[in-house]
Amino acid sequence: MRSLFRLSGEGEGFVPPSSNDFELPPVFGDNAFTTKPIFLVFLSVILVSVFFLLSSRKAAVVPSKLQFAGESIYSFVRNDLGRDIIGHEFMRFVPYLFTLFTFVLTNNIFGIVPFLQFPTMSRVSFPYVLAVFTFVVFHYVGIRKQGIVKYLKDIMFMPGVPKPVYVLLTPIELATFFLVRPLTLSLRLFANMFAGHLLLLVFILGGEHLFQGVLGLKLISPFAFAFGIGLTFFEFMVQCLQAYIFTLLTALYIAGALADEH
Amino acid sequence: MAMKDEGNALWSIFGYLLSGMLFWGGVGYGLDKWLNQGYFLLIGLLLGIGAAIYLVWLRFGRD
Repeated sequence: MRSLFRLSGEGEGFVPPSSNDFELPPVFGDNAFTTKPIFLVFLSVILVSVFFLLSSRKAAVVPSKLQFAGESIYSFVRNDLGRDIIGHEFMRFVPYLFTLFTFVLTNNIFGIVPFLQFPTMSRVSFPYVLAVFTFVVFHYVGIRKQGIVKYLKDIMFMPGVPKPVYVLLTPIELATFFLVRPLTLSLRLFANMFAGHLLLLVFILGGEHLFQGVLGLKLISPFAFAFGIGLTFFEFMVQCLQAYIFTLLTALYIAGALADEH
Repeated sequence: MAMKDEGNALWSIFGYLLSGMLFWGGVGYGLDKWLNQGYFLLIGLLLGIGAAIYLVWLRFGRD
């Protein structure tokens, strides 16, 4: 029975991709700070900076293709994520939102760029740090705008509720604002990138493994590869969507902190 | 502005439900451990969901 499940000829079973595939060894030396995700982060910073420097350097009334691309992304973040959600004070936050969006987007797309092929955000520490930034920003903004007492009071006490009910509701409000928000923000991004990368690994490594099997399995392997390619396009969509959602939620939290009541 | 409210509501509801279950479920779990019982977790979870739904109604349901 066992031999039925044994796919390859050399008698070695298929090793399914697992979370071990995300723990990459250091590129050089014996240092945990020289792993691939770290270099990808630096690369993304360089790429984003160079792209937007080039696209805005020779700004002209009739834009070049590069300028047009850069300005499209900028105006998307400024108008759809900044102005429409935060309201009249939005310009202060556009630099943060714009940096966040382009940074997350670039790092996500690394997951399907040939030879890089690793979404940085599938290592959970990176989304954690980004969520901490957003956490600090929206609480700071709220406290600056309304004063710490009023800000906390607004969070903790929903108006129009009989007093004893606050025992029930206040812990939930506090947990939402100080724990669940940053946690869901980072874990959503992490889990999507992690699962997407794993999915691609399954289909492409699986296809490769099938190809080494007997003739019948060789015939199946192109379908696995085709699925892998199809999923790569699907992943591209997910990667853009997650970068968008991360920035959208940051904008929503800032808007919530700026609003007078909740 | 309509889009903003809808988006906000969607994510807030999710957050409230999660934190309601986490907090009151956590309290129930702690009581279970402390008193060696088995039903406080369930009570806590239900209480948390109920309170979260009430909170959602307070914020988005009434005018």
